[in-house]
Amino acid sequence: MGGTADILFGGLFQGSLYAMMAVGLALVWTTIGVFNFSHGVFMMLGAYFAWQLVTWGLPPFLAFPLSVLAMAGMGWVLQASVVRPLIGRSNLVLVVVITTLAAGSLIENGALEVWGPRSKQIPPLVSGNVMLGSIGVSLHQIAIILVTPLALGALWLFLNRTRLGLALRAVAQNEDASRLVGLNVTMLYGLSFGIAAALAALAGIFLGGYRFMSPVMGVDPLLKALIVVVFGGISSISGPIYAAYLIGFFEAIASYYFGLYWTPALLFAALILTLMVKPEGLFTPNRSRGLA
Amino acid sequence: MSAVDTSTPSAVLPKAVPLTPGRVSWQREALALVVGFALLALLPLVITDSYSRHVLIMIFIYGVVASNWDLSLGYGGVFNFGHLALFGIGVYAYSLLTKLAEMNPWIALVVSGLIAVVAAVAVTVPILRLKGIYIILVTFGFAQLVMQVILSQSDYTGGTQGIVRIPTVTWFDHNMVRDAKFAYFYIALAMLGASTVFLRALVRSRTGISIVALRDNEEYAVSRGISLARQRLITLAASAFFTGIAGAFYAAYQRNASIEVFGMSLATIILSMVLLGGTSTIYGAIIASFVLTVFSESMADFGAWRPIITALLIIVVMLVYPSGIMGMLKSASRWMTRSRNG
Repeated sequence: MGGTADILFGGLFQGSLYAMMAVGLALVWTTIGVFNFSHGVFMMLGAYFAWQLVTWGLPPFLAFPLSVLAMAGMGWVLQASVVRPLIGRSNLVLVVVITTLAAGSLIENGALEVWGPRSKQIPPLVSGNVMLGSIGVSLHQIAIILVTPLALGALWLFLNRTRLGLALRAVAQNEDASRLVGLNVTMLYGLSFGIAAALAALAGIFLGGYRFMSPVMGVDPLLKALIVVVFGGISSISGPIYAAYLIGFFEAIASYYFGLYWTPALLFAALILTLMVKPEGLFTPNRSRGLA
Repeated sequence: MSAVDTSTPSAVLPKAVPLTPGRVSWQREALALVVGFALLALLPLVITDSYSRHVLIMIFIYGVVASNWDLSLGYGGVFNFGHLALFGIGVYAYSLLTKLAEMNPWIALVVSGLIAVVAAVAVTVPILRLKGIYIILVTFGFAQLVMQVILSQSDYTGGTQGIVRIPTVTWFDHNMVRDAKFAYFYIALAMLGASTVFLRALVRSRTGISIVALRDNEEYAVSRGISLARQRLITLAASAFFTGIAGAFYAAYQRNASIEVFGMSLATIILSMVLLGGTSTIYGAIIASFVLTVFSESMADFGAWRPIITALLIIVVMLVYPSGIMGMLKSASRWMTRSRNG
């Protein structure tokens, strides 16, 4: 019985983190049509900001939202400096990959200068442990599992039920038409980057609450998020979310039955198989671009 | 019926690629190449300290990797983000072949190149039907998973520890260690030379031109009878061979293999060489590998500021001068001819 609880919990937990990261990548891709390789940096910076604010004496319930807001601003600034000036170039996708990679390296090394290489930890969302069947889990991890669907649900409501969200989806579907009806496309570009950065920052605060932080903490989750969008397809918001939980459970099951040693190889095999059958991603709707 | 057989397109098309205006004839290019590499070959007479030679050897290795990436990325327009994985596969293939299988290092160099080609073909099959961003995602996923597999198979690969004391290449009874990297310099230069000749010959051939045609106008190229799948396979496989050999040589030269070759920082540096040099030139990537490596080495005392300044430089060049170093050189030479002609 312990096995089932292990798999269920591990899958949900990893899936939540992957989903938070992958959704931001998909949001930026659908609206702007570029791929943000500095996405992992927002996660790291969000965690460090929160740590800094808590160290300065702010209570976590204030420090965490402040850090998320700060990262939203940071996402806007990054978009305005290394993405927006390049819009219209013929090799936009490629050039943005290199500028965001460079910006990521810049911020990563900047963080190393400011905060040093020493590992840090921020307070958990909720402290304490609880027995779940036969396995002990921290309340922090349970909080993450519960907060993630709330955050993603809020995003869904925003995209589907508010004027601003609808405008964002309009840009994703048809940029020229959006411009024609008077939408401020430049502002909406900034907004999508900001939201993506805020979600990444939240994931960073989650992660920093139970694992030690380092300036390179965003690299691994970004890579996992990339694999998630390969599985789920990137042309929708829901595809990567399903894929995130799917991969979370896949890893939990594989590592339980075959061990950590074989999990990456199994994931690899599953990835190749997926691509042979459905190269555009498992959960991609038939429309080529657009939020769903 | 006319005397000319028009049943196959190749019969009506001229065999040789016609010389278009502004295109340098192959004789002139070959001459420039020979002169250029002869000058490089004379360098060890002037540069005698092993540190400077080491920097040059690294430039040659990076130059091979970057210029081969230019083939798939620039000419092919295939966003292959698994290119550094092919380099890493070369590193680990050589290490395992020489250390576990005790293969002759020279043979292992070539076999590593071939293994990289096989890996490139394996990653090309899933991307044959894909476009743009999906190619980035799949090849990136491929690179990450190759790394994960190498990490997890630590019994053979040493995992995060890497592999140490890898057998190196030998030249009869020449002492490779006490010659201030004299021999390594020429091996690296020979590798760069062979790779550059191969790449330039390929991109100037009909195959190379059909690859560019597919990049620039896929529908038209396909309708003229060019096979997208076959040319893409050729592009990726061709770009893998010398990349794998460069990886193998890197392992032989450093005498250790570490998982860092799969890291983001190396990929960022090499990719910026391709883009800073100017894509679809081959030479641009090699020149940029020289500029960027020397630039980076000159800031060796700056500590953490080194990557920060390098990153800033990359962003500024990409924003201000998107066609890169070769674009700068070309517009400079155009400006000079114009002012000479009055």
